[in-house]
This record gives sequence, structure tokens and C-alpha cells, in this order.
Amino acid sequence: MIRDITIGQYFPGNSYLHKLDPRAKIVITFIYIVALFLCKNFFSLLLLLTVSVAAVLISRISFRVILKGMKMILLIILFTAVLQVFYNDKGTVLWQPFPRWDFVITDSGVFSAIFLSVRIVALILFSSLLTYTTSPTMLTDAIERLLSPLKHLHVNVHALSMMMTIALRFIPTLIEELNIIISAQKARGADLDSGSLTKRAKALIPIFVPLFVSAFRRAYELAFAMECRCYNGDNGRTRMKVMKLCLRDYLGLLASIALTAAVIVTSYLDLGSLFLFESVI
Amino acid sequence: MGNDKLISFENVSFSYSDESSEEIRYALKDINLAIHRGEFIAVLGHNGSGKSTLAKLSNSIYAPSSGKVFVEGMDTSDPENEFPIRKKVGVVFQNPDNQIVASIVEEDVAFGPENLGIPPAEIRQRVDEALRAVDMYGYRLHETHRLSGGQKQRVAIAGMLAMQPECLVLDEPTAMLDPMGRKEVMSIVRSLNRERGMTVVYITHYMEEAALADRVVIIDNSRIAADASPKQIFADQALLSRCGLAVPEITQIAYLLNKMGFSVPPDILTEEEMIQAIQTVSRSG
Repeated sequence: MIRDITIGQYFPGNSYLHKLDPRAKIVITFIYIVALFLCKNFFSLLLLLTVSVAAVLISRISFRVILKGMKMILLIILFTAVLQVFYNDKGTVLWQPFPRWDFVITDSGVFSAIFLSVRIVALILFSSLLTYTTSPTMLTDAIERLLSPLKHLHVNVHALSMMMTIALRFIPTLIEELNIIISAQKARGADLDSGSLTKRAKALIPIFVPLFVSAFRRAYELAFAMECRCYNGDNGRTRMKVMKLCLRDYLGLLASIALTAAVIVTSYLDLGSLFLFESVI
Repeated sequence: MGNDKLISFENVSFSYSDESSEEIRYALKDINLAIHRGEFIAVLGHNGSGKSTLAKLSNSIYAPSSGKVFVEGMDTSDPENEFPIRKKVGVVFQNPDNQIVASIVEEDVAFGPENLGIPPAEIRQRVDEALRAVDMYGYRLHETHRLSGGQKQRVAIAGMLAMQPECLVLDEPTAMLDPMGRKEVMSIVRSLNRERGMTVVYITHYMEEAALADRVVIIDNSRIAADASPKQIFADQALLSRCGLAVPEITQIAYLLNKMGFSVPPDILTEEEMIQAIQTVSRSG
């Protein structure tokens, strides 16, 4: 289950999205998320979903890979959608399963559930492309540069981005280690899957103590290795990959702003009954 | 080779206080050792002999408790020399996972040169060259955590090569690898020394690996117990057993064959030598 999480994973490639400046990609993703939360009707939502799907096609990353990474999240979405259906009693009643209770499924409930799910799916599709098409180091470098104005407030932006780089680098290593420790403790007779909640929580202690000890040991060794490689914060540090905004980045930014404008126009201006299911939320 | 000293240890001791007994323990004591340019030295010793401390003393990670370590005449205990020394002496450690900083191979190799403030175009050139030298160029865009142990260790070596050091110190680089990975790393290190003239200090407890060096230094009980050519070292069975070390299997076989009366030299170190010796014996007999 843990192995299926692909967040933070990077698929090297040569597509338009891969070539985009990571700073532009972060900003575009932000603009897209804002647009997603501004959107109020199915037409604009459909537009945003189409853009998401188009972005996946442009990235040339297969849908199968992306769906695999979304499996867990899809379950959660399904769960929220079901709740959403039952919590909404406005609109026309479609079905009343238990006539004695005040418990109904309405058209507005169903619509809002679908709306919510599609919105989250679009959100995840688009934002996961950010990490899928950008190497972790480039991503943290871009964050460092975007946050660099904070240096004037004496925030150590470089240290923050280095921490993120190392965290992303060690996630798979520590997950692997976690699995080894779980197997080792099971081999010693640890019972992780039965008993009351407190009992199971207590059973996790012999898992996490060795994990933390090992993480500290790794950190200690990594610090030596970094010193051996002349690491000295960002003093006089250069980068192999230079970031430079060029035409395609400006085009991407422009497109995302245009998209937001379109969403605002369709959501907030009364364009008559041109679109079905208007203002279902 | 000549007398061109690259690293020299002069009466070096390194002590640490044991917290439980409060007595001072020595990891290394009275070490005198000169490492010359272009040499391939193996440092042998069983666990806890102090051989790993030697690696950290060689590039100013540790300063000696007494005595001096010089790298091209620079004193390692002077903090001013820290970075110039680390540029000259690259150290690769045992666990490849704990030395890799970035998630992508080429970005990790670039980490050292980036720290040195080298212009981007030259970093790219150095990274490509270093990856070719360890035969990992085809993997430059791969994720580091998906590589095998031997490949990770080769990436770690490339990370050092990209800083263009004068000397590579490897602290048990194969201890955590499978036999395949061990072979990969060993053959890369050997070719770096033979073809590129890289000075190599190879710390290990595998006899087979030490047999490939020009010179073997044995550290036992914090002191240098022997410093000679591999042939001389492995012929001295008494010395090896005193230091808790086993002779390479092939040398053991040669020694026994010799004792049984076959005209096989007792100081054979490699399989090729053995095959040759057996061929001469069977031809003459």
C-alpha cells in the first residue's frame, strides 16, 4: 500500500511540461488551483478538467501511472462523495430509502457530490503533474528562488530548500527501512494486526523507535558525506541547471491566467440559461 | 610515483573519551604513513582496528589529537585549510544510501562541484565525465533510490570525481554490497588508478581486494602492524593471524600446494596467477 504512493516521484522526459521552468510551473499550478476554487458551474469545471487531461497528454506520462498514484485518494474521494450525497437535502427528492426517517437523496445532493469529486480529481491530476515532470532538486531550487524575497526577513530559504531536497530523497529509503523493520519485528513475534486500538498503537512503538534511531544515524552520516563534498550552505554555491524564463514559460503563464479569466466569466457573470446545472452549490 | 608525497601522517594519534568508563581510548596511535601520488594503497584491519578513523583524518573531518596530517603540505588541523583539503581528498563511505543527497543521479553528482562554485557549463561537463568514468552515464536521469548497491556506490564515487580530487579515500566501500556490486566497485576503482593515475587509499577487510593494491598497510590495535607489498604481506601467515586476518583463499590453496611438494609459488594472489602456475606444473610434470 505504501509503495503505491507516487507523490514526489519524478518521471524524466522531454515534453513541453518537462521543459517549462519549474518556477513557472509552480505559479501556473497555483493559478490553476485558484481557478478550480473559483469555478461555480459544470461548464467551467468541465473546462478545467479538460485542461487537466490535456496537460497529462502533453506530459506524455501514461494515465495508468497517474491512476495508480491516485488509487488511495480515489477511495477517499468516493467516501466524501457518498457523505456529500446524504448531507444535502435541498432540491427535488429522487429517492427516500427509509420512509420513516428524514433521510433523502436529492438531485442537488447528487450534483454537488459529482461536482466535488470532479473538482478534487482535476486538482490532483494537475498538481501531481508538477512533481511528475520536475525533478525534486529542480523543484526545491525553484521554491528557493520563489521564496528568496523572504531572505530580507532573515529567513534561511536555502536551508529550507535543502531540507526539502533531503526529505524527498530519503522518503523512499525510509519507507523501505520501515518495511524491513516491520518484517523483523513480525519475525520476532510482534502482533501488529489484532487487539484493541490502544494495543495496536502500542505495538507501533517497537516499529518507530528503531526507525527514528536509524534516521538519526543516517542524518549523522549524511552530514559527514556532505562536508566531504565541501557543502557550506549557499555560500558561493552555483547550480548545474540554470533557470531562465523564456517564451514558453510566459505562454504557459498567460494561458493559465486566460483560463482563470474564462472560469470567472462563466461562473460569476449571468450568461442566462446557457449552461445547465448552474449554481448547484 | 617517486617521492611525491600527497598525504602524510606524522606521529598521528586520535583519541576519544569513552563515556562509560571515562578513560581515554585510542582509535589510532603513533601513525606514520606517507601516501604518494599515483599509488594504490589498501588499508587492512579487522573491525574496530581504527582504520575508518584514518579516512576521516585524511580530509580534515577529524583533526588528530596529537601529531599532524598534511595534504600537499597543508595542515589538516587548521580550519582555514578545510575546504582546499576536501577538494584534494575525496572520501567515499561505506553506506551508499547515506551519501547520496539528491534524488536524481546527475543532480547528486553535481552537488560537489556546485558547492565549489564552478560555472554551470563546466559542472555539466565534469558530471558527464565523472559518470562516464564509473560507467554510469546511461543512468544519469535515473532515480538514485532505484539503483543497486554497487551502482549507488559508483554514483557516490562519481560525486567525488566530479570535484576532481587528487586522491580518493574509500572507507570500506564494498562492505554493504553483494558480490556483484563488490566486483563492479573494485574494477572501477582499479581502472581509475591504472588508467587515470588517481591516487587511491582503499580501506577494507576483504583480503581479495587488498591483493589488488600496490601496497598494503595493516592496522591492528590502533597501530600500523605492517606496511609492504601484497605478496610480502600475504606470505607472512604469522603476521596475518596475529592481526586477526585471514589469507585470501587462493593464497591459502597455493601455500598448501607448495607444502605438499608441488612447484607452485606460495604467494599467489589472483586466479589468473594460479591458472598459470598450474599450467606450468602440469606441462613440466
